[in-house]
Amino acid sequence: MPSKMKTCEDYRAAMTDAAAAKVEPSPDLRAHMDACASCRTAFTEEQQLFTAIDLGLRSAANAEVPTSLLPRVRVQLNERPVPQRSWIPVGAALAAVAALVVAIVFVRGSGRGVAETNPQMIAATHNESPAVIQPSTQTAAASDTTSPLANSSSRRPIKTATIAKIEQVVVLIPAGQKQVIDALLANVQQGKVEADVLFAEKPTVALEELRVSPLEISPIEVKPLADISPESTPPNEKTRR
Amino acid sequence: MQELVLIQPSRTAEKEFAQEEARTALRREFEERLAECGPLAYRVARGVLRNSADAEDVAQEALLRAYRRFERLRDRGRFRAWLVRIAFRLAIDRTRSSKRREVRETLWSQAAPRASTEDIAATSEFQAHLDRAMDELPEKQRLVLLLAAMQGHSLEEVAEMLGLPIGTVKSRLFFARKQLAEKLRCHRK
Repeated sequence: MPSKMKTCEDYRAAMTDAAAAKVEPSPDLRAHMDACASCRTAFTEEQQLFTAIDLGLRSAANAEVPTSLLPRVRVQLNERPVPQRSWIPVGAALAAVAALVVAIVFVRGSGRGVAETNPQMIAATHNESPAVIQPSTQTAAASDTTSPLANSSSRRPIKTATIAKIEQVVVLIPAGQKQVIDALLANVQQGKVEADVLFAEKPTVALEELRVSPLEISPIEVKPLADISPESTPPNEKTRR
Repeated sequence: MQELVLIQPSRTAEKEFAQEEARTALRREFEERLAECGPLAYRVARGVLRNSADAEDVAQEALLRAYRRFERLRDRGRFRAWLVRIAFRLAIDRTRSSKRREVRETLWSQAAPRASTEDIAATSEFQAHLDRAMDELPEKQRLVLLLAAMQGHSLEEVAEMLGLPIGTVKSRLFFARKQLAEKLRCHRK
């Protein structure tokens, strides 16, 4: 049974595919176009359409790059020289540094000031706010009469709720390191240095445990009191009499 | 829980110097790629936005973003593909802001190629239709179409840039062009 004759409409899709793929028409299509002038024209129009599309795409895709682009980017790069890690907000990092400084002050202050003058206060200061141990804090002494700084001989527990704020932080710095620390802090504030450089992993080497040998108390020998009065007589002599 | 200790300032300074050196090297490497790939970022953005000023803004933003994350890019050989994606995504986001559309179309029509008055009218009209048809294409096809239309990009390079098999690139290109033709058939001169 002979196959059904294809119409021009049947070849339409094949023409579009050939033009879209920029390939030669198939022998079947070519034979049809040789015989059909309208399909030949239609195929030429399809090719022209795709050529126009390509020209339009090329003009959009190959635009001249403005000479100002790269200098603009370089200026922006110079303004932000350090690639910032998005997971550490700058504010949080600075807050961490501030907290660290306060912690240093606390540790040093509690180690030197309070411990030396009033050793029994060590336990108390560990339980209370670090604000207590600021020797340079004017408000601390003024606002709290129960503070050990106000009356160190009383040895009463500290009430930190009424003790106040740190207005001025004094940090003790090892000799010869002030300039380095100043430069470092300036760089942190300017964003040139990430604040996490101030931290390092805790050393993995385990510290030796502090061992306190138990107290040895030798047994107490209880001796009777010697009678030193001249009238007194030793008990054994009395029994002899 | 992670425990931290304060390290010595002298050690910090040494670490800082080392980091500064690393940053300088990173910057130098990025500068080389900036000169090479900056125009590509602009052209991708321009192809989507069809406006020079917007495209420049987007290209700049794409390059800055790339710089900020450059340190984390393990395979530096993938920089071009990475940058293309950033620029394309930013341009798509911007083009969704309908506020600029009118301005963009006005500017585009002003930038039409010089020819006879009739040709200008016909070309700019056709180009406007082409732009709209492009906007309606799926993003994957659109990016392939843009990159393939850029001078100096063979299909193999496009495939490599996008990390796709060459067959996929050809297929996307074929269907994209067919869809454009379908939309533009009634507008051809």
